[in-house]
Formats: sequence, C-alpha cells, structure tokens
Amino acid sequence: MTGTNRANSAVEAVEHEMKQVQNRVKPQRPEFPNLLSYTAVRHFLHALELWVWSCILNLACIQWIVVQVQKTLIRVLQVGPLPKHVSFIMDGNRRYAKSLSMPTKSGHEAGAVTLLNLLAACKSIGIKTVSAYAFSIENFNRPREEVDVLTSLLAEKLDEVAHRAQDRNSELYGLRLCVIGERSMISKNLNDKITRVERMTDAGESMILYICFPYTSRNDIYHAVYDAAEGCKYHGQRAADIDVQNFTKRMFLGDYANKCDLLIRTSGHTRLSDYMLWQVHENGVVEFTNTLWPDFSFIEFFSMLLKWSFFTSLQRRQLAKVSLRSQTMHFLKDNLLPFKRKQISYEDLPEAPQSVSVVLRQ
Amino acid sequence: MTKIQDSVLKKQDEDWKKDQRDHKRVPAITNGIVNPAKPSVGNVKRALETAILTPPDSEEVRKQYGQTQGLWSQSSGKLEYALYKTFLSILFVIYACVRYIQYEYNRVKIRILNLAYSPSNTPQLIRQDVMKLQKLPKRLAAILEKKREGDVGGGTSGLLNDGSELVAWSISAGIKHLTLYDYDGHLKRNVDEFRSSVFHKLCKYYDPTNVPKFAVRIPQWNKVYFNSANADTSEAKKVAIEISLLSNRDGRETIIDLTKTMAELCAHDEMKLSDITMKLIDSELTQLVGHEPDLLLYFGPSLDLQGFPPWHIRLTEFYWERDNDQVTYSVFIRGLKKYASCKMNVGK
Repeated sequence: MTGTNRANSAVEAVEHEMKQVQNRVKPQRPEFPNLLSYTAVRHFLHALELWVWSCILNLACIQWIVVQVQKTLIRVLQVGPLPKHVSFIMDGNRRYAKSLSMPTKSGHEAGAVTLLNLLAACKSIGIKTVSAYAFSIENFNRPREEVDVLTSLLAEKLDEVAHRAQDRNSELYGLRLCVIGERSMISKNLNDKITRVERMTDAGESMILYICFPYTSRNDIYHAVYDAAEGCKYHGQRAADIDVQNFTKRMFLGDYANKCDLLIRTSGHTRLSDYMLWQVHENGVVEFTNTLWPDFSFIEFFSMLLKWSFFTSLQRRQLAKVSLRSQTMHFLKDNLLPFKRKQISYEDLPEAPQSVSVVLRQ
Repeated sequence: MTKIQDSVLKKQDEDWKKDQRDHKRVPAITNGIVNPAKPSVGNVKRALETAILTPPDSEEVRKQYGQTQGLWSQSSGKLEYALYKTFLSILFVIYACVRYIQYEYNRVKIRILNLAYSPSNTPQLIRQDVMKLQKLPKRLAAILEKKREGDVGGGTSGLLNDGSELVAWSISAGIKHLTLYDYDGHLKRNVDEFRSSVFHKLCKYYDPTNVPKFAVRIPQWNKVYFNSANADTSEAKKVAIEISLLSNRDGRETIIDLTKTMAELCAHDEMKLSDITMKLIDSELTQLVGHEPDLLLYFGPSLDLQGFPPWHIRLTEFYWERDNDQVTYSVFIRGLKKYASCKMNVGK
C-alpha cells in the first residue's frame, strides 16, 4: 500500500512540477516600454505578439480546432514516406530568454517544453528514432551556474519523460529513452539516475529517444576506434574484419548510427558544431532555420517533413527499377479486386469423363 | 607514429584506378539525380506517383489500414486510406507550387548577383572585395561535382576548369590553403592536367612571365607536386597557395584503415590501448587527410556533403547558394562575407 501511495505522490509531484513549468514558460503581458529606445519598443512588440497569440490559443474552441488540424495533418503525413531518424540541434534557448528579458534558465525550460511537444508529434507520426543534442562536451566551458542548471533540468525532465513513457494515456507511452555520450564526465548521482530511467523504459518499442548529454561526434568516433582496438586485443577479433558497417555499429547510436535522415538545426548557424558528423556527411538532409529553438513550432516541423517526404518520393521513383505500369497493375490487383483466387487442390476436382482411345476402337 | 601512417597509406594505395564510384553515389534527396536544381512537372508527377502508389513506411500505419475485421470496417479503412493519400498528394502539389516560386526567385537573385560580382579575370577587383572583410578563413574547402558529359561545363574538363578557377580566386583573395573535394577523385587522377589547367588560368589572371607558385598535395598518396609540369622550377620561391585534393576515399574509409592499423598494433602489443586518444587520432588524421577547413563552399542547389571527411567538418561553416548549380564567383565571395560576419563561440 505504502508503495503505491508513494508512487502516486511521486506522480503528483511530477505533474505539479510540469504545470508550474508551463506557467513559468507561458508568455506574460509585457510592461509598457520606454518609447524613446528602439530596441525596447521592438522587444515589447515581440513579447506582445507572443502574449496575444498565447491568449488566442488558450481559448478552448481554438485549442480544439488546432488539435484536430494537427491530428489530420499527422495522419496525412503518415501515409507517405517517413524519415527513420530525425535529429535536433536545440540552439537558441539563451537568445530566446534574452529577447524576452527572462533569466537563462526559463529559456532552457521553454526549450525542453518544445522538445517534449515535438517528441509527441514525432511519436504519433511514426518516426522510430529521435535524437537531440542536449549538451556538448565543449559546453562544460560555460559558466558554472548554467552547467548546473542544464544538468538539473536534465534530471527533472528524465523523470517526467520516464513517467509519461509508462503512462498508458500519455502520448509518449512506449518510448525508450537512452542517454548517450561521454557519461564519465557527469556526476555519479546523475549517472545512477540515468541508468535507472533507462532500465525503466527498456521495454518501450514504439520509439527510441537518444539524448546526447555530454556528446561530441569526434568523441563518438574515438570511442568506436578504441572499442575496435580493444576487441582485437582482448576478444580475439581480427583487425582485417573491421569494415564500415561493424565500425558504425560500435558507435553510441548503435544500429541507427549509419544515417540520420533529417537533421534540424535552429537559430541560423550553418555548421554542425561537432554533432552527427558521421551520420550526416554522406547524403543526410540538414535543415537550417533561423527560428530560435523555443519558437520552433509544429507547423515548421511539419513543412520540413513534407519537403522531405516530397523529395524522397521523387528520389525513390528515380531510383526504382520497376516500371510504373507493372507496379500499378499489382496495386490494382491487390486492392481493387476483392476476390482472391481460391487455392484449389487436385483431389477436389470433379471426375473427368471417361477417356477413350481411337486406336483401341477397332 | 610514422608507422601508423605508412601502413594506412599503403592500404589506401590499392586499386584506386578501378574505383568508379560516381554512378554508385546516391545524392541527398533534395538534389535529384538527373537534373539537380530544376523543378519540373515531370518531377511532380513522379513524386505523386510514388506517394500514391507505395504503401506507407511505418508498419503500424500499414497494419492499421490493412486490418481485416469484417467487410464494413475493412472497406472504410480503405476509404480512409485513400482519402489521406489524396490529401497528401494535394499537399504535395501545393508544396511543388511553392517550391517553383522559390526556385524562380532564387534564380533571379543568383542572376543579379552574378551581374553584381563579376571579377572578369582581374585579381585587383577580387582583392578589393576581400579588403572590406574583417576576417578571412585560413583554410577554405570546396565540394566540386562532375557534371554530365555533354552539358556546358560538364565532364572532367569542366571539373578541372572549375577547380582551377577556384584556385585563381583564392590566390587573389589571399587564402593560403585550399581543399578541393570531388567524390570520385577525378582531380587526383588527372593531377597533371589539373596542374597545367591551373597554370593556364593563372596566366590569364597574372603576368604570364611571373605566375604565382602553387603546390598540389594529394594526401591519399602522400605526394606533393609543385607548379605545372612544364613550367621552369629553377628559382626557389614561396608558394602562394597549397591545394589539397580529396575524394571519398579520404572519408570514412581512411578512418577505418586507421582503426585497423591501430587494432593490429594493439593486438601485437606494439602499442598500448591507452595510447589511443582523441589527440592521437586527430593528429594522425591531420597527417593523412589534412587540417579542418574553416569554410566549406558547395556549389549545388542545396547542401549535400557527399561524404566529405567526417572528422574534418566539426566546426566548419557551410555556405551554399540555394538553387545554384554553377561554380561562380558570387557564391565564393558571398561565402567569404558570411564567414566574416559569423560569430564563433565553441560551446560557450
């Protein structure tokens, strides 16, 4: 009994926390600015716009319409080609906070909320693998407080995601969570927690979420090299057997390390910043957008996916060797003719007439 | 650790001539296979055909619509499926229209830019353009593509021409290191032609009796060539530019070769496991392939890295002009401008 009670109270605590964060992240009505300063007026207008939008979106009927439209769009997208692996570089949280003159922490919190919303969308679209660049090894160079904020935010969100992944009613049900990267650089407490959460969501099959914390792509490649050398030294593998495929499998992303179909980088920089180098450099699609990460909305994500889907359809047709006509015939045969031919066995046939030979008649 | 390098270089050298990779390459989806940038009605038709006729990618969706529970629910599932497919194709058509407008807009923009920036073989103009910038990339890289034979600027000769043009611009801009990447390594294979092509191009830009010196490096075979084959190399002079030629072979496969060599050395106890560090790998790859470029230019319609060495694009800034399909000066100078204006804060 006490066990369930404790679990319930933990759930309540998490939900309470979620609500609080949502309230904190929600745009507030901005204060009237000093009209003489251009930047102050611009910031005011931006904040006002966000506030008005959030007020409109909070109306029940509009919310309902938005949800319905979103659902329909997702179902439309589902029937076309879909990327297997989508990855996000979540850049622009601090600039977002700065533009609304909020503390850096709320910028990161708003970013986390955006990620969770997009995760739900990805899940219902049916994308199997999602990864997100939460923290780079280079980020340890940031001020101590910010690193602490990011670390504690991760711990918080891990709980939330794990809780939602277990909850049958949540849209994230069945999610499997993995935290990858140079785990030796984070504290033991957090490491234990991560391991626990990973074990909790181990059985999830509908989607894998990789959180890269603290991660760099070069570090990833280095680990794969080291692993391969170790395998040869201690486990009797042959050096000559190493090839691109099994090398790739040794990387943190495992089976998904070969290719990232769609990498989205927000906030306008056109570089990879040591992320997904191995996955993207062959022919992965990288989308750069000027939106800051907390502003990155479902509609923008949707249009990127639609573009991806369009061009993938085109490329599949160009690469396909089968002629369109035979494909159409097969399609029609499978779908339009409702009656399939029955399986017929020889024994079930009616008796044939008696066989008579001309030669024997005489 | 020269032993590692020697062994990797030996591995890389095998059967490079047979290597014909171009036709095996699958380009990034946005770049098309036949006619890269240009949208056409035929393409829209093809995209729609696939979208409508192929089953959805996700298994769950397929199951959901393919369920067979009684006659009514089955056919309604099919109806729903058809309805969503129709919606999808309508969205595709809308997207294609938007894309067409974007394309036309970008083309007009590129044309105007090409008028605005045209160096017409004059180094002074290029230098003047560059003087306005606050900083230049120390190492510049560019991805070149071999176009179809028979097109304007197609085939190997077109590629050589593009490459040598870039060399001339870089020299005039004052960039000391240039990396040219092409997937199949056509530049490497035709290095003698490339050298003479560069020489001729430089003769056009500069005084033919006093052409700037250049060095061509091919990391895959660890070779360096100076100037063109028939130019006199009597007077020792500092080179104005160092050109490295890379191909797909220098990417993933070089990392694999390096891994193999290290694994062998470890297995034979000639090297300790703890010796393998990020620093060692980085220095080895720098020796084997080259330094990380600061700016990477791509002259195709939308970014496609084509297997550029993955270790070397860590913090590299990318620049490409949307819907462009030619190697032009405007892309070059605008790339430099972008680099001059961008802020680098490594992790901070």
